Amino acid sequence: MSDLQGSAEQTLALMRRQGFEHAQVSVSRSHRHEVCVAHNEASLLRSTLSNKLQLTGLLDGRRADTEGSELDADSVQALVRSLWSSVAAAPQDAANAVSAAQSARVTRGPQQADSAALADAMRGLLDWRAQHTPSVMLEEALAGHTQVQACTLTTGGSALQCALGWYDAGAFGMAREGARSSSFNFAGGNAESLAGAPIVERFGLDGMLRALARSVHTEPVGERFTGAVVLSPPAVAGLLTWFLGQLSDQVLINGSSVYRAALGQAVAAPLITLSSRFDAPGVSPFSADAFALGPVTLLDRGALQCFTPSLYGSRKTGLAHTPVGAEGWAIAAGTTPLDALIAGVPRGALVDRLSMGRPAANGDFSGVIKNSFAIRDGQVGHALSETMISGNVAQMLRDVSAVSMQRIDVGSWILPWLRVEGLHFS
Amino acid sequence: MMKRLIATKDHTMTPIASHHELETREHELRKTRMLMVDGNLTQNLRTVDRGVSARAYVDGYWGFGSEPLGGGADRERVQRQALSNARSMARFGARSPLALAGVRHVGRQQHQGRTPLTPAECNERLAELHAWCKRRYPGLRSTRFMIGDEHHGKSLTTSLGGDSFARIDRAACMFTLVGEDTSGAPIEVDEWISGRGTLADVDWSLDTLAPRLERAHEHLQAKRHAVTARGGLQTVVLAAPLAGMLAHEAMGHPCEADAVIGGAVTASLVGQAVASELVSMVDFAHTYEGAPTLIPVQVDDEGTPGRDVVMIERGILKSFMHSRETAARMGEAPTGNARAYNPHDEPLVRMRNTAILPGTSTMDEMIAGVDDGYLLLKTGNGQADSTTEFTFGITLAYEIRGGKLGQALRNTTLSGSAIKVLKTVDAVGDTMHWECGGYCGKKQPMVVSMGGPALRARAHLGGQ
Repeated sequence: MSDLQGSAEQTLALMRRQGFEHAQVSVSRSHRHEVCVAHNEASLLRSTLSNKLQLTGLLDGRRADTEGSELDADSVQALVRSLWSSVAAAPQDAANAVSAAQSARVTRGPQQADSAALADAMRGLLDWRAQHTPSVMLEEALAGHTQVQACTLTTGGSALQCALGWYDAGAFGMAREGARSSSFNFAGGNAESLAGAPIVERFGLDGMLRALARSVHTEPVGERFTGAVVLSPPAVAGLLTWFLGQLSDQVLINGSSVYRAALGQAVAAPLITLSSRFDAPGVSPFSADAFALGPVTLLDRGALQCFTPSLYGSRKTGLAHTPVGAEGWAIAAGTTPLDALIAGVPRGALVDRLSMGRPAANGDFSGVIKNSFAIRDGQVGHALSETMISGNVAQMLRDVSAVSMQRIDVGSWILPWLRVEGLHFS
Repeated sequence: MMKRLIATKDHTMTPIASHHELETREHELRKTRMLMVDGNLTQNLRTVDRGVSARAYVDGYWGFGSEPLGGGADRERVQRQALSNARSMARFGARSPLALAGVRHVGRQQHQGRTPLTPAECNERLAELHAWCKRRYPGLRSTRFMIGDEHHGKSLTTSLGGDSFARIDRAACMFTLVGEDTSGAPIEVDEWISGRGTLADVDWSLDTLAPRLERAHEHLQAKRHAVTARGGLQTVVLAAPLAGMLAHEAMGHPCEADAVIGGAVTASLVGQAVASELVSMVDFAHTYEGAPTLIPVQVDDEGTPGRDVVMIERGILKSFMHSRETAARMGEAPTGNARAYNPHDEPLVRMRNTAILPGTSTMDEMIAGVDDGYLLLKTGNGQADSTTEFTFGITLAYEIRGGKLGQALRNTTLSGSAIKVLKTVDAVGDTMHWECGGYCGKKQPMVVSMGGPALRARAHLGGQ
């Protein structure tokens, strides 16, 4: 870590000498090891070492950013000169600024890879597949460990350091019987340790693999109707991505956020409380613009608590600055068992994946439900094919009628199943 | 057990026991990305990532290692790491190595482009475009202009004697006009311009973009009064950019040999009809009709010279795209489709320039032949499945009634089984459209190009 701090200090000094009025320097080093599976067989062991030097320079209200991968003096000097050339050409904008007076040092998770544990974990997954879901072909799977050390300094006196380590695992595949295939699906996530439970029992992997094996033979939904969906945690994550986008810089600056006038108002069902988990495995404790992250609640029983503009977005819009990370979110568990959640659906579908384009700017969407099963009179039935649902994402958040007790934890999010009413099936 | 000598670029010779192969790649990836939102330059970023990687194949297992270039990077250390990693995979059990094809390519790929634009020139042009829109379209809620370019240079040496330098250079400009519909809800229309080279080689000048902006603004006005599509199976005319997306997503991915081995339905369909006989589809390596493609791959990242792959010929499924490993597994020849995105990535089977070939119909004829259907003009993104089921977001479309265009549609989704949809194609346009602005996602991102003419077919639209 000390060499990264030294690099950051020297680079910040170099930027000052170059003439930048304000600057941010981030230096990071990442080691990764991963065991990869291809087509149900162990295939590859990867070991990578990568560096990243990220520079932000401000001059007379102008801003430019650059990134490089080499930390030697000549490379750093070339990067700083390039940044100087870029910043001089940028337009002035009084909203440009760098963070000030942030200080934190975070060490979290396993700092060394346990290669034997990675191999054992992958062998366990392969054995489980062969025994429990032999029709599933794991086109890709991996078990890995990442260690990241990073140091960020700004001319405003911010000094942020972290050393993060975590394990991750994931699998992507499909089931096949004769000439018929299921749709593909994926599950995976990050964890502090591989000990304690096989990876197939984490991240919803076992459920995903079992569902693939039951999805080779599918039927269309048959006719148009309006019904309910029970969204699995990966499908809920899709809703969350849209929602978080509506609270962030671009739509706040151009005024197109559907929530622009909704601060403090109910924008989701009162069953929904959405909070941060920036201390989860693999989640950065710092924002990209160099703020130490504290706990944030975005939705409290459905009411919007804050927007999440960056420092730039906040200065641009006048909205309060709420530093957040790119990931690390949790929806609070509900009180309804998953079985009861499904039992409450007269007609609809259990949905694991929604394949669609980006929702329209107003939240309207239509998409094909993948890896999904019909629900009739509270019972899960056949796997679905060529079935589309349409609605509005903002309205879906308001129409949540039940939240499961159970949740899936993948590190970057921990989410329950949600039952949502009023979707159009076709 | 074999005993060989491996040759590194600096010609040192290292004795290695057992069956193995080794490839070593020095890879530089440079990118520019600038985003102007309502005249505010919200992104002004240039990046460079340089690294050296090695991939070894030892006794049936792969090992990979990489380090940043500069500041003490060591090719031999990376090679040793790759070899050590491959050997350590023996803990999964002894395995017979595949007989990988002995391909060898020596050559350097060059690109002669214009002098790149300076940051100042890029910024001036972005500001000019924003100011023009603000002056001409005062009712717009917002404008966004994004420009970016990306340059890959890869030096590859292989233990089979391959020694090549390959490069990919592509640039793109995207603009988005944001307005409001009659209820005050935001609506958008966007457009991409992309090409080979740097931002100096792609024409995104105001003179060129003004007519496109004018058309986009007309579409935006039409979307103010847009209607909802009727859900279900419909007759659709897919504009050329959508046909390119269909080629890439819906049939391209299921024709990647690793997906075929993984269980894609295409595995059992070679020699069978998977499309109308009007449809032929090819993944071009580097040349189309005598000119370089947008993403020319002369040699892939395993050292295999690129060759075209005819996937569908007059409706019949013919062949698949291969790496050396998938080719060996399926008893076929490698095709030069093994590509790695960044300096720390291993090669995967990826598309290059995937296209449906043009036919003979004009767009006017194709629309005139539809009594009740839709013209689909733009897609936001697309996804496909091992079953060939696909889903595209449709961001700009119009009704067709009695052979004439009607009202604009609200955003919708197009879906179907590519095989079923392509079998219904009854007209193929006579004009090709190529683009290379986006990324293909598959463990790693990848720069690819997509091409196609307009198509008329039957497919499912989302709606009520």
